Amino acid sequence: MTRFAGWILSLPATALVALFLVLPVGATIAATFADPLGITALYEAFFTSGFRRTVLWRTLEIALITTFFSVIVGFFTAYVVARASGRVKSLLIIAAVFPLLTGVIVRSFAWLIILGRNGILNSFLQWTGLTDAPISMLYTQGAVIVAMVYLFVPLMILTLVGVLENIPEDVIQAATSLGATPAAVFRQVVFPLAVPGLIVGAVLVFTGSFTAYATPALLGGERQMTMGTLLHQQAMVSFNWPGASTVAAIMVIVTVAVVLLMTRMARRLNPMAT
Amino acid sequence: MTTSKSRLLSATTAAALLLASPAAAETLVVSWWGFNGDKLNEFIVQPFQEQCECELVFETGNNADRLNRVQIRGGAGVDVIYLSDSFAQIGVEAGLFQPIDRSLVPNIDGLYEMAQNPHGEFGPAYTIGRVGIVYDAERVTAPITQWEDLWRDDLANALSLPGITTTAGPMVVMIAGEKAGTDAFEDADPAFAEIEALRSNVVTNYNTGSEMINLFSTGEISVSLAQDFALGQLQQAVPSIVWAELEDGDIATLNTVNIPTGAANVELAHEFINFILDPERQALLARNGVDAPVATAVDLTEEEAAQWTYGDGMIAGLQRIDYTQMNAAKTAWIDRWNEVFGM
Repeated sequence: MTRFAGWILSLPATALVALFLVLPVGATIAATFADPLGITALYEAFFTSGFRRTVLWRTLEIALITTFFSVIVGFFTAYVVARASGRVKSLLIIAAVFPLLTGVIVRSFAWLIILGRNGILNSFLQWTGLTDAPISMLYTQGAVIVAMVYLFVPLMILTLVGVLENIPEDVIQAATSLGATPAAVFRQVVFPLAVPGLIVGAVLVFTGSFTAYATPALLGGERQMTMGTLLHQQAMVSFNWPGASTVAAIMVIVTVAVVLLMTRMARRLNPMAT
Repeated sequence: MTTSKSRLLSATTAAALLLASPAAAETLVVSWWGFNGDKLNEFIVQPFQEQCECELVFETGNNADRLNRVQIRGGAGVDVIYLSDSFAQIGVEAGLFQPIDRSLVPNIDGLYEMAQNPHGEFGPAYTIGRVGIVYDAERVTAPITQWEDLWRDDLANALSLPGITTTAGPMVVMIAGEKAGTDAFEDADPAFAEIEALRSNVVTNYNTGSEMINLFSTGEISVSLAQDFALGQLQQAVPSIVWAELEDGDIATLNTVNIPTGAANVELAHEFINFILDPERQALLARNGVDAPVATAVDLTEEEAAQWTYGDGMIAGLQRIDYTQMNAAKTAWIDRWNEVFGM
């Protein structure tokens, strides 16, 4: 009986996940293969459209660049936080997670104010004389990426602080005493031990930015359409549910593929990481 | 059976009976945008609830979201739905609405002809508006006097168009077709060539009125297409914005009310439609800045009519859209539009 206790205890949660997550996603993906024109007709329609291919590559590009910068900024910030002590550490953590206290819409709107023609950045550039007229910064890929990095860096920091805190000081001191330079300590000790946290953080950031809707819609507009905004257009405006299901299925497949790829990379960097 | 169990059973039975009572059935579910909530409550909701001794319940959202919900529920869940004419036509073609029994809505006879039956036997229009050009007169030095002016070189990187999926979006394709000297419904290629030429003037396209107002107030744009209901808010945000007097005329938009096929309270829905089309009610709504009237008996002063599409002269000068043709073309237009602006 005790052998099955774990299974029995996890049954309600498993059933809920199956009913409310696996089943709808499975049904959505299954529907994309049930087109009267053929099993792969909807996917052929997607990939033969230059516009839809552009949207997919653009979304992938934005998500990967966002993940890259979030990892860089998040890692070094988390390292500083992890090495700080007492009240300073608490203050740094509060500062890092402060943006999370407001919603995605509010944080995206903040960038509208910063990057707008009459915004803070343009005013500053003109005040310093670096530019003599406002620069159009909104509704560009750069605007979307900057806002997304701002959105996801706190997640990265929170994920990494715990991992970096758990690296024993003894290990670092041992490496130093054996003649390792600070760069070597980082490269050969700290970084490999932080890989599990990096992967978790990178997966969170990638999936979040690949499936984002509000930020690309607000800061990218129609010119920077992403899979999220395309999905909304297909489902809620064009009433094209098969097309929307195909977009959703491709998003799921790409996300899973990239997560598996990241996990594989993590194993290479640190065989004990996953 | 314990006392607590019997109490619980009694309470449950009482609740079930209450929910099944005739009083509970006298609920009218209205699907609308939710703009002007306080005024609608004062001039429509409260007085109608007093008249019908029923309760109004609301579903709010934009055209597409609300129509989608009705479609997903197979025409059920809502008794009356407010939609712009282009979306109402989609609903009609999808078989989501039932014909209006005009004997139950005598006030239809007192409306402008174009408002009485914009979609044949289906719902009437309860208000009329227009799509035109708005611009910031401080930043656009030469007045805009025709649709073609949107292509002017001095408007480079200053324009926002309504997205193709909005009410006014497909109108841009028609305007572009006219500029090219062709009918976009018959041959869309010249129209999209003109839209491609317009691209350098476009900063971004908007999907909601508030988005467009933000673009003006943040200085991103100085020209746009707009529906007249947004003009008041626009001028509050940027006082130098003006409505362009176009030689070739603005485009009419009608907002309609329809009864979905699965409406639970059809008779009450007809009563509600008749109520909002009553000339006195229409005048009250117009005078309080809610909607332009479509009842011909409404007599507004010049000041009261200033913000509205009002009067025989103005209404006669509006261009009309054939939404059957437009909705048939729309899917292909959306893809082509995306290829111009989304690549």
